[in-house]
Amino acid sequence: MKKKLKVIWKHVLLTILSAIWLIPIVWLLVTSLSAYKGINTMHFFPEKWSLDNYAQLFFRPDTVANFPAWFRNSMIIGVACCIISTSFVLMVAYAMSCMRFRARKPLMSFAIILGMFPGVLSMIAIYFVMKLIGLTNSMLGLIVIYSAGSGLGYLICKGFFDTIPVSLRESAKLEGASQLTIFTKIVIPLSKPIIVYTVINSFLTPWMDFVMAKLMIRSKNPQDWTVAMGLYNLVQRTLVGNYFSVFCAGGIIVAIPISVLFIIMQKFYVEGITGGAVKG
Amino acid sequence: MKKYWKDFFTAIKCGDIWTRFSLLVMGVGYWGHGQVVKGILMCLIELGFFFFTGKVSWQYITKLNTLGTVQREEVLDLTTLTKTVNDYDNSLLILLFGIIGILTIAAFVLLYISNLKAVYRLQMMKENGEHIPRFTEDCQELVNGKFHVTLLTLPGLGVLLVNIIPIIFMICIAFTNYDLNHQPPTYLFTWVGLNNFKQLFTTTTTVTFGYVFVRVLVWTLVWALLATFTTYFGGILLAKLINDRTVRCKKLWRTLFVITIAIPQFVTLLLVGKMFGDYGIVNGICSRIGLTQFLQNIGLVSHGLSYIPFLSKPGWAHVMIVMINIWVGVPFQMLSATGILMNIPNDQLESAKIDGANERQIFWKITMPYMLFVTGPSLITAIIGNINNFNVIYLLTSDYVTSNMNFANSNAREVDLLVTWLFTLTNDYSNYKMASVIGICVFIICAVLTLVGFTRMIAGNREEEFQ
Amino acid sequence: MKKKMIAVLLVAGMVASLTVGCGNTQEAANDTQKTDDSHAAETKSDDAVANLIAGTDGPVELTLWCAETEQYQTVMKQLVDEFEQQYPDVEFDITIGAESEANCKDDVLVDVENAADVFVFADDQLLDLVNAGALQSVDATFTYDPTTANSKEAVDAASVNGKMYAYPLTASNGYFLFYNSDYLTEEDVSSWDNLLAAAEKQGKTVGMEVSGAWYLYGFFSGADLEMYRNDDGSNTCNWNATDTKYTGADVATAVTEICKSKAMVDCVNEDAQAFALNGEMIADVNGTWATSGFKEAYGDGYAAAKLPTFTVDGEQVQMGSFAGYKFVGVNSYSKDTGWAMLLAEYITNEQSQKAIGVATGEGPSNINAAASEEIAAAPALAALSEQSQYADLQRVGNNYWDPAAALGESLVSGDYTDVQKLLDEAVEGITQPITAE
Repeated sequence: MKKKLKVIWKHVLLTILSAIWLIPIVWLLVTSLSAYKGINTMHFFPEKWSLDNYAQLFFRPDTVANFPAWFRNSMIIGVACCIISTSFVLMVAYAMSCMRFRARKPLMSFAIILGMFPGVLSMIAIYFVMKLIGLTNSMLGLIVIYSAGSGLGYLICKGFFDTIPVSLRESAKLEGASQLTIFTKIVIPLSKPIIVYTVINSFLTPWMDFVMAKLMIRSKNPQDWTVAMGLYNLVQRTLVGNYFSVFCAGGIIVAIPISVLFIIMQKFYVEGITGGAVKG
Repeated sequence: MKKYWKDFFTAIKCGDIWTRFSLLVMGVGYWGHGQVVKGILMCLIELGFFFFTGKVSWQYITKLNTLGTVQREEVLDLTTLTKTVNDYDNSLLILLFGIIGILTIAAFVLLYISNLKAVYRLQMMKENGEHIPRFTEDCQELVNGKFHVTLLTLPGLGVLLVNIIPIIFMICIAFTNYDLNHQPPTYLFTWVGLNNFKQLFTTTTTVTFGYVFVRVLVWTLVWALLATFTTYFGGILLAKLINDRTVRCKKLWRTLFVITIAIPQFVTLLLVGKMFGDYGIVNGICSRIGLTQFLQNIGLVSHGLSYIPFLSKPGWAHVMIVMINIWVGVPFQMLSATGILMNIPNDQLESAKIDGANERQIFWKITMPYMLFVTGPSLITAIIGNINNFNVIYLLTSDYVTSNMNFANSNAREVDLLVTWLFTLTNDYSNYKMASVIGICVFIICAVLTLVGFTRMIAGNREEEFQ
Repeated sequence: MKKKMIAVLLVAGMVASLTVGCGNTQEAANDTQKTDDSHAAETKSDDAVANLIAGTDGPVELTLWCAETEQYQTVMKQLVDEFEQQYPDVEFDITIGAESEANCKDDVLVDVENAADVFVFADDQLLDLVNAGALQSVDATFTYDPTTANSKEAVDAASVNGKMYAYPLTASNGYFLFYNSDYLTEEDVSSWDNLLAAAEKQGKTVGMEVSGAWYLYGFFSGADLEMYRNDDGSNTCNWNATDTKYTGADVATAVTEICKSKAMVDCVNEDAQAFALNGEMIADVNGTWATSGFKEAYGDGYAAAKLPTFTVDGEQVQMGSFAGYKFVGVNSYSKDTGWAMLLAEYITNEQSQKAIGVATGEGPSNINAAASEEIAAAPALAALSEQSQYADLQRVGNNYWDPAAALGESLVSGDYTDVQKLLDEAVEGITQPITAE
């Protein structure tokens, strides 16, 4: 009997906790379905329901909101970043984990030191470096910024590579395989979880960042913005009263591809983090 | 180090004519010893370097000591409406190009020295009658023995571009007077030595950087520790709860929590910020059910307020930020903890059970040490991540107004972390010099933490215990 | 050897990327310089505009930043089209960008060279923009004379040390009182005491962002206390005075008294609009940007008035305010200064100001446009012009905002013990010297 009570108690606790975690999400969802455009401070559920926010989001781009264009831009940047970042991370991780060379240890410590510098500070400097190469105000510039430094985030991936038995690589080497072949034919096929983890993380960056994007994209035409920039702009003081529920609708739409990705990849994701962390 | 130079001088001393001639023209040594393609490449690089330095970076490097002297002047010809501008200096460009130029020179010198050594090695090989690798063989080596070079070049260049150069640049800014009144391109800024650092540690009635810095620093550290450990333990406990043998529908529960990750963080943070606003929906509900009144009666909310200042008064805001961060961070931690919990060596658990340990004992004696060992290094990264956690604070406290004059005088607020403070300084007040100084402090703190943390975590030789 | 290859590639990569990058910019700079010189040599006629047209070959590329609201963007688009038609021989490529006027300065100053050629900004940003050398001074005008067409106050506000740096666009960036005449009479809105009493009686609320530095100024300036910017960027402020007719402490106490009322709500614009829509808030101190919101909320009861009087030391004192303007500035780093100036002139001339006024509900700074029927009839603008005699030019150094906001926050919550000490500290912060190195 006591045991049964304990089980029930656990389920009740989980229910309460998940309710707490879901309330804001539910609010996001119901507000996105509200006919009132501003923030409703009186009622949790809208008084009048409507799908108009979604219609406005997709079919009525105006001077401050052009969601289809934002979505397209973020998608392009996200896909490009995810390809470049993932290859960078894999490359660096392989070099640091599977190869032995003199500069390895110093480079690893150097990478750790670089990682400790506050990124917010160097933003303005990155802006001027990009200006030198003529990449401000372009998606290419953002792709470079998001992915160029990704090599520094190799640690978790290296931890994962460390767990791949050395004997596998040794025997391949004895059979005359080059390092390139070992990398592409042996190590990469074994690292699905960590690749998935890296892919998700790098794909998400452009969907989350608004500070850097705001600095880099000087264009004031909503067509050139990313989702994060655009949505952030919608809740600025002058606009929030007319666009809050549109913002919520945007948040919901953005969540769809990400959750699909997550649910499919959940298994790999967990393996990825833990596999890497074990020896990280 | 000694060997490094010794090798270099032996190369000069014992080198043949080709080797010595490559002191002047870098490719010649390869040429003379039968590696034509490599020789041409080297020549091209040398040419490129001198072209770049002479044509572009040298003019900036020479101005580095003053950061420019000619201020911009413009004349608008009113009859034609066209404008003429003098050939003015731009301190920012001088500094940036100067840094790039010096880095190029440094890289070139290293290359130059190793070039000579390589050529000498080649000469020795030839003298000993060894096989001189052909260019194609060298290329093959790049995907095999020297594969790491191939692998690291592009990522390295990327890091140089968006990390190293900007960081050096910002460190330099800390020693200049780049602020609102010295903004390029119209105005020049120059070196001021350690003045800015002195200012950071002064406190007078109006210059309150010292006062504010200490307080912001303390809150930053408190926040980093709280934020990291609350989400860490929260995540582990939640994972344990869900993974409990008796709990049904594990996948469903996990998915419910994971949903919150799917919505971009800035959306949820802005949303939650609005919910807990002074006149937000939570306050609306609280005042209707009388909670506001109750809190006023017990003295937690000042009587002058008609709302609960969740995110607008010190104390309240600090607590709320940590709570909201738990909400944001726990699902992530839960995911990774789930994986690690599954990996706990079963034999250890079994033997503990046989020894008659109860669940609590097992948790504290086996599960937690294992978790700590596995996630130790990532905990340090998490603390550093939280010291630099810009989004949570910035998005949640956009409406926060300080009532402390000392904070106000330094453009800071009680809830600011060092990073959000320096963001305000640069973004709203163009005070780049002080922002850089603060940035350097953040860096030092993180470096010390990492040093202490890593040695503690790794020094304890416990690796075998779990393997 | 390994090291060498890294270094080789590093250098090669850097050389490649950098020479490409800076080669371009330098060439471009040389080009413009060259064309500038040749123009100057070729033509020296009186008719500058004709010269400009003659000297222009290829499309003129200009960027214009103005407020992001739909009304603004539409009317600006229309004005730009009209401007392009004025010069049929010239090919234009004018882009209109959405930029909130409040952030304009920050955005321009990050990188002046890449900012818009022509931009609309609020008057308080003028000094910072001038100090950073971002504004092209109005040395000459070609289609109309802004100094006589606009009200004198607007011209003064657009000038620094007697030199005009921007074209006045609107004169309605100040604040006044919106109220719902279904609940309040004109008598009620004449003083804070009546207003709050009436609201309390009906269980409704009155809003004002008292903790906002911009609004707080109204109380102190109304009681004849001073706060203004010095030439070096610091402020002069006597809000802690004890020897004036109304002492600073009296005013501060009066503000706290007002905030103690059950009906008083210290809230920002978007909250106020939401409350008004809920029917809770029947009056709010706000500006023309909120006009459409309050019109919708109050319906037939929509009305506006000058700011109420408040009780200091037992006497009724009229609240002051900031008179705010919006300006059109020309970027001094614009590649086509001439055309940028002409465009700025066009969108600030009488007809354009009227069109903008009608479209957005803001009040023109142009005297004729302001007097025209369709503009002067609007209640908000009438209230604003009534308030204007108590309003001061907004000349404020950067150090004002944060300390004043902190002061406001303390006055609203009333959690201070020594009001004089509070004011002393605030004044010290507001007047702190600018560190010059």
